[in-house]
Amino acid sequence: MTAVLKPRTKRQAKEAAGPYGKVGDAVAELDERLGIAKGGRTFLDKIFPDHWSFMLGEIALYSFVILLITGIFLTLYFVPSQGLVKVPMNFPYKPLRGDTVSQAFMSTINMSFNVRCGLLMRQMHHWACDIFVGAIVVHMARVFFTGAFRKPRETNWLVGTTLLILAIANGFLGYSLPDDLVSGTGIRIADSIMLSVPVVGSYLSYFVFGGNFPGQVVIARFFIIHVLLVPLIILGLVGAHLALLVRQKHTQFPGKGRTERNVVGSPMFPVFIFKTQGFLFMTFGVTALLGAFAQINPIWQFGQYIPSNISYAVQPDWYMGFLDGLLRIFPAWEWNAWGHTIPFEVTFPAVIFPGIVFNVAMAWPILERKFFGGDNEIHHLLDRPRDVPKRTAFGVAFFALLATLFVASSTDVLANYFHVSLNTVLWTMRVLTILIPLIAYPVTYKICRELQGGGANMGKRKRPNDVVRTAEGEYVATQAPVRPGDVHHELDATPVPTFIAAAVVAEAEEVVESSDATTGARVVDR
Amino acid sequence: MVTMRATLKKAAAGFSLSIVGLAALSFLATPLESGASTKIAADGLGATAQICPTGTTQVAGRVGVPANLVNENGDTAKKNAGTAYSDVQCYNAAGELVAYGNADILYELPSSALIPLGQQLYMQDCASCHGVHADGVLPNGTTGNYPDLTGLGPATINFWVTTGRMPAANPRDVQAMRRQPRLTVFQSNAIAAWVNSLQPATPYIPSANLNGANLTVGQDLFALNCAACHTITGGGDALASSTYAPSLHVATPTQIVDAIRTGPGNMPRFTGNLTDSQVRDITAYVAESIQKPTNIGGVGMGGLGPVAEGFIGLALGVGGLMLVSFWVGDRSE
Amino acid sequence: MSENLNDHGAADITTVSADAPQMQPLAKNPKGVEKAISALLLVGIAAFVGFGVCYWQNAAYWTYGALLGLGLLAMGAAFIAWGKYLLPRGPFVEERHALASTESERSAFAAALMERGAGEIKRRKVLGTLLGGSLGVFSIVALFPLVRSLGPLPGDKLAVTDWKKGQRLVDINGNPVHITDMAVGGVLTVYPQGLENTDDGQAIDQTILIRVQNEPFTTKKGRESWTPSGYVAYSKLCTHLGCPVGLYEQQLELLVCPCHQSMFNVRNGALPQFGPAPRPLPQLPLAADSEGFLIAAGGYNEPVGPGYWERP
Repeated sequence: MTAVLKPRTKRQAKEAAGPYGKVGDAVAELDERLGIAKGGRTFLDKIFPDHWSFMLGEIALYSFVILLITGIFLTLYFVPSQGLVKVPMNFPYKPLRGDTVSQAFMSTINMSFNVRCGLLMRQMHHWACDIFVGAIVVHMARVFFTGAFRKPRETNWLVGTTLLILAIANGFLGYSLPDDLVSGTGIRIADSIMLSVPVVGSYLSYFVFGGNFPGQVVIARFFIIHVLLVPLIILGLVGAHLALLVRQKHTQFPGKGRTERNVVGSPMFPVFIFKTQGFLFMTFGVTALLGAFAQINPIWQFGQYIPSNISYAVQPDWYMGFLDGLLRIFPAWEWNAWGHTIPFEVTFPAVIFPGIVFNVAMAWPILERKFFGGDNEIHHLLDRPRDVPKRTAFGVAFFALLATLFVASSTDVLANYFHVSLNTVLWTMRVLTILIPLIAYPVTYKICRELQGGGANMGKRKRPNDVVRTAEGEYVATQAPVRPGDVHHELDATPVPTFIAAAVVAEAEEVVESSDATTGARVVDR
Repeated sequence: MVTMRATLKKAAAGFSLSIVGLAALSFLATPLESGASTKIAADGLGATAQICPTGTTQVAGRVGVPANLVNENGDTAKKNAGTAYSDVQCYNAAGELVAYGNADILYELPSSALIPLGQQLYMQDCASCHGVHADGVLPNGTTGNYPDLTGLGPATINFWVTTGRMPAANPRDVQAMRRQPRLTVFQSNAIAAWVNSLQPATPYIPSANLNGANLTVGQDLFALNCAACHTITGGGDALASSTYAPSLHVATPTQIVDAIRTGPGNMPRFTGNLTDSQVRDITAYVAESIQKPTNIGGVGMGGLGPVAEGFIGLALGVGGLMLVSFWVGDRSE
Repeated sequence: MSENLNDHGAADITTVSADAPQMQPLAKNPKGVEKAISALLLVGIAAFVGFGVCYWQNAAYWTYGALLGLGLLAMGAAFIAWGKYLLPRGPFVEERHALASTESERSAFAAALMERGAGEIKRRKVLGTLLGGSLGVFSIVALFPLVRSLGPLPGDKLAVTDWKKGQRLVDINGNPVHITDMAVGGVLTVYPQGLENTDDGQAIDQTILIRVQNEPFTTKKGRESWTPSGYVAYSKLCTHLGCPVGLYEQQLELLVCPCHQSMFNVRNGALPQFGPAPRPLPQLPLAADSEGFLIAAGGYNEPVGPGYWERP
């Protein structure tokens, strides 16, 4: 048994604690129990490529974090019930005083008018949702056009597409909760879409609504699905998405020193952590500013949903727009035979078409292999879109189709804005929906081919010329200095050193000569 | 729940009426009987309430309406709904019906002193299309190209002229759009006075008393009857065959009542099924809540709703954050 | 330039010369960047304090979000600037090890799966079949409470409305509609009397009443008596997606659905003449009772609203 010497001075205490003090102790304690040191170190050293387009998924991730935080706030005030209450006569918004509304509507306007920061949270929640789905789409486009979904990442592509579907579904469910005129109309349309499903449609509708639309249960059911079921699945899938990312490591663009056998970029700790933490706050900040200055879904102006009330120019949130657009422009083809009806004018646009869209998206890694000249090799280096013209052309045509349908969801707004007849707009959109993808494919293909012939520097940022007029009146053009960031990867990549702060390395281990401050090497004060 | 909603609705309706002191609804709920109106009008307004303009004789109940007065469809059943059989009629010294209405909306005939001026203005600005007799007959005898203006009532003239739709910018347009009026309200009244002198008709020019209006009733009725065309935020939108539901954001209360009672252009005409009290509530809702929307959450974005919101979310939200990622990340390939 | 001490076995310490260009910050003037970052952080702190004060004082709505957003943006920018300009610029590299295992590891795994699990089931075929059967039956009956309990069966309820012969038409306030009430070009949403405030009444029975002219007219052969005094009534549920067809253009004599712009001509039995609606709106036969109030001369003779499988 050895006597434990109590350190008498600070110096002794420091020595007794080892070179890394309390952190070192904590690491030791944890490692003895969990064995975290080796894996933890690998994790800290994990390399994240720096290209800006790899941050798009983070926008989605962080807006989901915001959705969770603001959503939890909202659940504390929202009452998911269609039971009726009377708006108190002292309610701040006059046109609702004394009105008979559902508790869902009442609690939503109450949190908007009477709960401090309630409206901010509500608006941030809705904006974060718009951003969430938008960021997923943009992120998916990046993954698609650069071929990041190829082997071995097909599973993660599948997970990602599922996340998009869930995000859209949950967006619709959340949009439906306040029981206002606009969302009620949306639920009514959703009911009709369920009815349009052959054979089981009416059962589907009756089971969701607990009987005839609107019934008394749909808000409560949507609520629990919206706040518990779907978020849980999303959370799990996000976890799986990130776990697969860590396991398979990030893809990277080809470039100096980048091969299929390495990853070049910034280490997780501290560089990436700093950047991504900053990005989280920026996402939060942008959402907060939108919530502060841009009003979204002012349901008090819409009023309580009553099934026979209706507003013109009602549209779903943007991510449902392509469905609404196709519902508008699809011909009125309903089939009736042997005592049964197939409302194909609803079934196709609202059930079959989204089925096709998402199935094509999910199956794309296989489709590309089979029909678009893809291979079965493992790829960690990304494609430049121009180098894979078939995929790029297909993707552009696909997005063009969805974008045209999205525009078609605003036929009335377009007709009003450009002062053309609704009939003209509708026929134009019908033609464009077919024409635009058909044109987009060959045009994109051709552009890709042209770009391929354009040399290595095409598409890269050009350095501008500074033109100076001399005293003699002569104009002299000189190339502007290289901007930082452009030359970043001119350097060779180096393994992640244990000690990012060079001076500390010199002090602690003395394996490297201490840095020379006069050369401009970075010295961290300790 | 259903009965609860019914009860509460009734309570709300009852409240609205108690504010304005009208017994119209209770009248409507009882079976229609002749003679009931006089009693109701007297009950609702009280013996001393003076609604008519000064210098006119106020008569309560539907009595003595001039036989020559053209009334929409000749309908007589409903009072208190913009017709000359409203609660109160006002006669001038000559015994002409110069105003009618109630505490919510008073419909007035422009002064007959304006008739000569009105004729002059009409001949300058209107006759080329509507004909010198305001009957839509052009000098060359063609009819049917432009409407007959007789027997429509002064409110119709008031709506079309004070909203700048008439005189038309381009008479061949499918639908005349609102613009800066070419004639003043005074001139419009003069024209209305002259046209009405050719064939007296209702509705007269309304003025709504928005004090004490029930905005809740207004919103409910707006959502049921108006939002289908004008949108719930009153922005208007495109309708069939190059017609438009105009924005309500610049309409005056008088024009709103004009439109509801006369049904200009493709707009339906709301008569017996909306009482003056209800029309007044709708008008107040438009004037106070739609024209001055409560945008407590920031910029209202024109009330276009999810489409505008989507664009903002994608452009400022996703786009802005992509710019941030441009900064954070590295831009070389 | 770089040295990996892994080869020395002991300390797993990697070092890179502090002079290496990758170890330098991106910023040419780190002191300046430090100042900028501290300014950002100070702005952030000030904004958060402001947020707290505004909350406490219950200030204008936008101040909360503006200050919160400003603070977060400043803090975020500070983080990013620190990470981007002050930390070593890199790039750094990490090896990518093949994900795949060796051939023998694979076959060992497959063998374990097959021999220990599937092989056992294969050997006992009857048990295996029964096991599959029990799992199958379980997953089917498990659906009963999960799905069937959710609501009643539709039966033929989708095909019927509450309109009955002789029932008065009333507006949302319960007032019956007299035959002289509406002017030509007038429009009104009506319900069966007594049901104007019920969910079913509003969602299914809602009917749009239009006075097209002063005299009866014929919308379709066999409906000659359905339009007393020029009144015509159609189901207000669009045959496309069930939106209330509340938009009436009196000169064009068109009902328009506000959701997807289907257009129905009220004169010829609401035949759709534009847009995605596949069927005419069902027409309600009208009549006037002895007091002159409008009544239904019968129910709808077909299901109202959008199409569905069982619809005849």
